[in-house]
Formats: sequence, C-alpha cells, structure tokens
Amino acid sequence: MRLHLRSSHIIFCALLAVFVFSQPSLATDKDLKIGFVYVSPIGDGGWSYAHDIARQAMDKMPGISTSYVEAVPEGPDSERVMLQMARKKYDLIFATSFGYMDPMLKVANQFPNTIFMHCSGFKTAKNMGNYFGRIYQARYLTGMVAASMSTSKVIGYVAAFPIPEVIRGINAFTLGVQAVQPDASVRVVWTKTWYDPVKEKEAAKSLLDVGADVITQHQDSPGPQEAAQEKGVFSIGYNTDMAKFAPRAHLTAPVWNWLPYYEKIIAEVRAGSWTPRADWPGMAEGVVDIAPFGPMVPQEVQKNVLAKKAAIIAGSEKIFVGPIKDQNGTVRIAEGVVAPDSDLLSMNWLVQGVVGTTE
Amino acid sequence: MHGFLLRIAKRQEPSPLWRSALVLCGAVLVALAFSILLLALRGISPLEGCRVLVMGAFGSAWALQDCLLKAIPLFLCSLGVAIAFRLQIWNIGAEGQFALGAIGATWAALTFGAQPKFILLPMMILAACSAGGLWAMIPAIFRQWLGANEIIVTLMFNYIAILLLDFLVYGIWRDSSGFPMTPAFSKNAILGTIGTSGIHWGLVHCALLGLLCWLFFRSTRLGYEIKASGDNVQAARYAGMPYNFLVVLVMLLSGALAGWAGFLEVSASVHRLQPSIMVGYGFTAIVVAWLARLNPAGIALTSFLLAGLRAGVENLQLDLQIPAAFGAILEGLMLMTVLAGGFFLSYRIVVRRQT
Amino acid sequence: MNSELLIPLLAAAVVSGTPILYATLGEIITEKAGVLNLGVEGVMMMGCFCAFITAQLTGQPWLAFLAAGLAGLCTASLHGLVCLIFQGNQVVSGLALTIFGTGLANYLGTPYIGLAAPGFSPQPIPGLADLPFLGPVFFNHDPLVYLSYLLPVCLWLMFRHSRFGLGLRAVGHSPAAVLAAGLNATAYRWGGILIGGFFMGLGGAYLSLAYTHLWTNNLTAGRGWIAVALVIFAFWRPGRAVFGAYLFGGIMALQLRLQAGGTTLPSSLLLMLPYALTVAVLLFSSWQRGTQAPAALGTNIEPSS
Repeated sequence: MRLHLRSSHIIFCALLAVFVFSQPSLATDKDLKIGFVYVSPIGDGGWSYAHDIARQAMDKMPGISTSYVEAVPEGPDSERVMLQMARKKYDLIFATSFGYMDPMLKVANQFPNTIFMHCSGFKTAKNMGNYFGRIYQARYLTGMVAASMSTSKVIGYVAAFPIPEVIRGINAFTLGVQAVQPDASVRVVWTKTWYDPVKEKEAAKSLLDVGADVITQHQDSPGPQEAAQEKGVFSIGYNTDMAKFAPRAHLTAPVWNWLPYYEKIIAEVRAGSWTPRADWPGMAEGVVDIAPFGPMVPQEVQKNVLAKKAAIIAGSEKIFVGPIKDQNGTVRIAEGVVAPDSDLLSMNWLVQGVVGTTE
Repeated sequence: MHGFLLRIAKRQEPSPLWRSALVLCGAVLVALAFSILLLALRGISPLEGCRVLVMGAFGSAWALQDCLLKAIPLFLCSLGVAIAFRLQIWNIGAEGQFALGAIGATWAALTFGAQPKFILLPMMILAACSAGGLWAMIPAIFRQWLGANEIIVTLMFNYIAILLLDFLVYGIWRDSSGFPMTPAFSKNAILGTIGTSGIHWGLVHCALLGLLCWLFFRSTRLGYEIKASGDNVQAARYAGMPYNFLVVLVMLLSGALAGWAGFLEVSASVHRLQPSIMVGYGFTAIVVAWLARLNPAGIALTSFLLAGLRAGVENLQLDLQIPAAFGAILEGLMLMTVLAGGFFLSYRIVVRRQT
Repeated sequence: MNSELLIPLLAAAVVSGTPILYATLGEIITEKAGVLNLGVEGVMMMGCFCAFITAQLTGQPWLAFLAAGLAGLCTASLHGLVCLIFQGNQVVSGLALTIFGTGLANYLGTPYIGLAAPGFSPQPIPGLADLPFLGPVFFNHDPLVYLSYLLPVCLWLMFRHSRFGLGLRAVGHSPAAVLAAGLNATAYRWGGILIGGFFMGLGGAYLSLAYTHLWTNNLTAGRGWIAVALVIFAFWRPGRAVFGAYLFGGIMALQLRLQAGGTTLPSSLLLMLPYALTVAVLLFSSWQRGTQAPAALGTNIEPSS
C-alpha cells in the first residue's frame, strides 16, 4: 500500500500538534478588563493616539487592565475583533470609529454582560452607549486665531474625508474665522487619507500657492505644519499639540482629552450605575480644548479667544446658531435657531465662505 | 586526491506529489520560522507567538468559523486569479475586480430592492459578475490589441476601482446619515446564513464554483485549450487555437469570480457598500493561487490557511500587541520560499566524488 | 494658466517626481539586464524606513541616505536569490517582494510613526536660483533633487561607454551570447539587481528625508508601481525617464492644486488622474513603438551543468 501524503495532511498534523501541546491561558485576574479598537495606528500622533494616551493612563490605574487592537478595518474584521474581546470576557469595550457601529451592535446583542461604548456613532442598545466630543467648539476658537493672524484673508484647510465630523469642523472653524474677519475665505483640499505626511504636505503647499497664509488641518500627521513653517507662514494643528514639529508656525490646535470622560465611565461601570445613552461632552467637561498659544500670538488675540472659550464653557455660546447659509446661499439654520445635535451629527453641507466640495 | 563535485541537473519527469508536498511544507515552515523569529526582536518568545497565532486561527469553533468567513471571498478571488495565471496572464487586478463586483451588486440592490429574493439575488450576482468581468476584460483587450503590459494596467485599474467606489459612496449613493456608505440593503438583497450557523450561503457558492472550475479544466475542450495555451503559447497558436479570444474569455471569467466575491461581501457580510470592504483579498489571492499551484482543491485549502493567518494575526495584535503588518511579512516570505523551493522540483543536485 | 500658478506647479512636479525618478532609474538598470523586478514598492519602503531610522538614530541625513541605498540593495538581493539562484518565476517573486518589503517596513516602523527625523531642506543654488522661470522650478530644491539631475547622465554614460554597462545590456538582450563569449552572465544580472535596488532604496529615502521628515505606514503609496510603468514609457532610456517622472509628479501635484483652486469636481475623480494617466501613457507607448524591451526580460538563465 502506498501512502499518499498530501500537503494538507502534513500541515494539519503540524497545526494539531501545536494546538494540542499549547497551554490555554487562564483568566484569573479580577481587574476590570477594558479593550480598545482603533481604526488607525496609535503612533500616528492623531485621533487614535489621543484615545491611546487615555488608555495608557487608565492602564496604570489599580484594578484595571487594558488592551487594544489598532488599524482594524471597519466592517466584518472589526466585528471579529470585538467578538474576540467579548469572548475573552472583557468588561468594557471602546470602538473609536463610526464604521464600527453596526458590528458593535451585533456583538453587543450577543454578549449582554459586556458594556460596549461606540465613539462617533448614534446607535445604542441595553449594553451599548455612544459618545463623541464637541471638538467643533475648539475649531471655532482656532478659526478666530487663524483669522486674527491672517493678512491675505485666505485660510487653507487640509481635510481628510468629507464625512460629517470633518465638515462640521470646517464649518465651525469658518464661523470662527468670520467672527473676526467676515469676508475671509477658507479653502478646502481633500486628501482622502487620515495619515499620509507626503500627501498632506503637498495639499498644504497647494493651498499656500493660491494665497493662503494660515494652514489648518483635519489630518493626523504634522505634514501641513511642516509646509507652513517652510514657507514662513502660520499653522494650526490637530488632535495633539503639534508645536514641536513647527515651532515657528504653530499657533494652537484643537485637542482631545479623553481621560476625564473615560474615568467617568469606569466609575459608573464599577458602581453599577452605567446607563446606555448618547454622550456628547465638550469643552465644559474637559474632553475638548485648545493647545497652548504659540509665542507669536498677540496678547489681545489670546484674551479674545479665551473670553470666547469661557462663554462656550458657560453654555452661552452655541456656535451653530442661525442665520447660517450654505455655499449656495440657502439658509440652512434659521435666524435665532440653535441647530439640534442630530443636524450637527449628519452635517454634509459647507457654510458660505468655504471654497471646496463635499465629495 | 578526493573531493566532491556538486552538479545541478534538470529533472526529466515532473515531480511526484509527495515531493511537491514536502517542498511546499518545508518552504512554509521556513517562512514561518523566520517570521516567528522576528517576534523575538520584540522580546516575545517564538513559541508563545506561534501559540497565539495558531489559537487565534484555529483554536476554537468560533475561530474556525471566522476562518471560513474570511476564506470565502479569498477563495473566489484566488480561483479567478489562478485561471488567468494558467494562461500566463498576470492578473494583478483581483482587488479592483472585487470592488467592481461589489459596485455592480450594490447597483442592483439599490435599483431593484423591491424585488423578491429569488429574483433580486441572481440579478445582483449577474450585475456583480458582469462588472467584475468587464473590469478584467478591458486590460485583456489592451494586452492583445495594443501590447500593453497587463500587470501594470490591472494594477492601475485597482486604484481606479477603489476611487470609483469612493466616488459613489461620497456622491450619489451616499446615505442620509452623511457618512460615506450606501443605505442598508433591503432584506431581499441579503444573502442569509445556513441555518443557525454564522456562515452564509456563500460557502455553498464556493463549493459549486470550485467544482465547476475543476470540471471545466478537466473535462471540457475549452479548458484543455487554456491549459495547453498556458504551457506553450507558440504551440497553441500553431495548432490554430484562437489565442486572442482565449485571453479575453479567461480574463472575463477571472474578473467575474472576483466580482462574485464582491457580491458576497456586500450582500452577505456588510449589507451595504462602504469603502472598508477593501481589505486586500485581491492581493492575498495571488499568494494563494501560486502556493496552491493553481488547482482548485489546493486553492480551497490554501485560502482557508491564509484566512486563518489573517485571523491569527489579529489575535497576535490583541494579545501581544504585534503590528498588523506581521501578516504581510509572513505571506511575502511564504511566497518567496515556495518559489525558491520550486527549484528542487525542477532540478536535482548530483554529488559526485572526484578522484 | 498664469505663470503665478504654473511655476509653483512645475516646481512641485520636480519635487514630487524625484522619488519616482530614482526608482525608475533603478528599475531600468535591473530590466536592462533582463531581470523584471516588480518588487520596487517593497524595496522603496525598506529604503524609506531605513533612511528614517538611521536619521533618527544618528542625526546624519547623508548617512541615512546611504543606508537607504544599502537597505534597498539588500532587499532586492532577495529577488536575486529567488530568481537567479533558485530559478523562481520573476513576476511572482517581485510581487512577493512587494508584499514582504512593505510588510517588513511597516512592521519595523510601527513604533516610529509620529516621530520626526532630521533631513534635507531646500537649498537654493546661488546664482542659478535667480534665473527667471528655470530658477524656481529647478534650482530651489534640496540636495537630493540636484543629485537626481546627475544620475540620468551617469547612467547614460555607463550604458554607452563602460564595460559593465555594455555587458549588462548584452545580458538583457541575449544571455546565451554572453555565456558563449565566456562571460559570467549571472554576475551581470546580480549587478543589475543590486545596483537597481540601491537606487530604488534612494527613491524611498527621499520621501522620509526630504519630501517630509516623518514616517508612516505605506509612505510610498504606490509610487513603486508607477516607476515600473514609467520604465516602459521611457523605452528603457534614462533620459526619457526624467520626463516621465516629472510628468507624473506634475499630475500628482495638479490634482491637489485643482482642489485648492476651487474646482467642483469630486476629489475621488481627481485622485484617479495619476493612475488613468499611467494607463493612457502605457497604451500609447505600447502602441507606438511596439516593444522596446530587452529581449531576454523576464526569463531566467538555466543553470549550466
């Protein structure tokens, strides 16, 4: 009898051997197990990085162990990652990208004992809540700074993807610009990437070539900051303080600070008082802020901006208050009306004064 | 004076199966060994890395299910790529053909969403295969009538296809929530799961299509022509076979299969069209097709294993914080070692004593 | 288009085209010897990463530039190993190298995302930079761009007037003839692969040392593939490669400038321009002159007994 050894047999035998002789891991820790799902690499200095700083801080807290998976594509892959975390009996899972919403809902329905928190979405369940941050408040303030430092009245905005949160940011920024210089314009270039320093820098250069003298970005890399500094003009960063990349150009930046919010959620989970809801904290709760001003920002400008910041924190400045027109001149937010959160979350039109597409 | 002389002699007959299997296994293990050693650079014991990788891939029932789900689109793309490779047409465009298939299926789902399931699903499949097939046919026509290198054209078409998907979901097909995705498909456009398992009917599609492919190459005259043409283009021409027609047909089939995978992804997995369906199945398909020596049974096994690799790499990330790029390293290395291993199948080393 | 916008666009075309130029020249050297190396993307990535990490650790940009070339050379040597020694299929080996090289660079580079490294900055050439039109377009860049001006000339001289270059071309045309003349055909092919890999690595280095001073995953973003296409467009000639590289650099810069200029075209369509142009250019080149490829491109030399 001849033995036909197929490659399949050999490979399965080898794998079986490894499987049989490996030890299953024992989960005996009584720590609160928290998992994070990130859509981009944590080192990008941007969106995921901001979440991860908070995670690292939580990891150092007693009784908490955290883990993360980065660069997880939205869709079925994210569902598998969250399933794995749930199966490993994680207590709390944070998913930090809009596209994780439906997969998270599916997993949440299968694992009622785990609490799921989705960032930048809108669906909830008995054990799933969602949250976001009102970074647009900080954007408004940085718009004021940009307009104060611009002489050409053209401000360049390097933006990643035409999704509501980015568009909302552009609009808030532009409203801030117009509060200081009503006839300034904001020009938008879409790079279709969250982190590609080369492309972002080139986009910034293209804006500088059409006359922009302040560059801002909804991007995770400091590429645009480099471009601005090389040309000798000013720039506004994003996510974290980007001053170290462009010390002569960096005016300020809208920054995230997730730790206060995450600590609140942990406290609720531990106390058993967590309820599923849609949270949208902002400057008042400390989740959103602006980076320290660069030395080139005049005291007068700083005073004005900080006064506005106080107003936002106090709740008297709502930013998106009508009348606000879109690029075609149509009134989108009526006079005196404060735009409801639902409108803000699905915003896909640009305000008048912005030069750019929404696609 | 005694010494040894190493000579390289070409083998006269094709290698028997056991030798092919042995070389393949050896190559894969060499690649695995190198990759696991890379983990040691991060201070992770190779054994631990191996364990986490394998457990993540095959360590439990649900892991196996994950593997199967990942393997389904990979299998179809690889099947398509293999058909083209048989004719020595280097179809690098499976990724783009997958995207076009998804777009075609989405168009059908959005336009005819009210139709009953037994009409809508076949329409979606037809639209997906037509779109994917067309996307592959164009480079084939460029190749035959203009002499344009299909490697570059299909590759560029990948980028264009992904941007076309973007254009649609950011533009006319955009959901009312404002996010770049189509509205969710109607119930009739969703391919369901087999019973209460987590696996959708795409698995059965794969089995049927794989079987059809195998039969096609084995038992039909056209299949024979394709095999014959691939091995020796000159002979095929001399024998009067319509080579141009063959190339276009083969690419059409190749693209249609990748397009079918695109249909499965939007219909059975995600239930809408969004940019995140593009995860690189089309590129891994090339690795699978080559490792499996272009035959359907081998492709079935290899796509399962490489799907397992993807799942295992996710587990490495979760448990050991290994960067996701580790999977690509392993894939690339495996392909290189298998290519190198092919040397031992075509040649043998003869050792002669020198006196 | 008025000159105010044209000159910055052309200057951007030169900068944007420089990494592609290095890589294209490298692939020309390799293909002239008859070896098809589709792993350009992977080789560039390894060069890009090694340049960044060397600059980070040593603070010496020129050392980093050299290191990138060596990294590219080593990465390309894997292709030589698989194809020249183990007789592997050149197309598939190149693809494998792309997957492996990109993966390895991303893997090793993950801890370095978000960091900056010292690199090259624009240094206008005194005198030449003040020339109207030519000055800002060609003489207001970093040293690596200036270096890239010299390379095509060096290559041309090498191919035409050096023994090595002539041998290289002969191997690409007919390995059998070279062997019959008693020369080591495989050695020439190794030369083509290694030197080509060196230049591809330099192309990658430009992105993380000069274009920006940052690193991220997939920084080369498909430029390696454009280089492969440009080799065909250039008819395997260094001079034409320059034109092709700047043309592509220009298109990549143009799509962003169209947006900045206020076009209403969706950005997705604009981003298609470089790839669509690659196809168009390829079709035109292939149709125009048939194939000018080295006759033995893509075939392996059988080991002799």
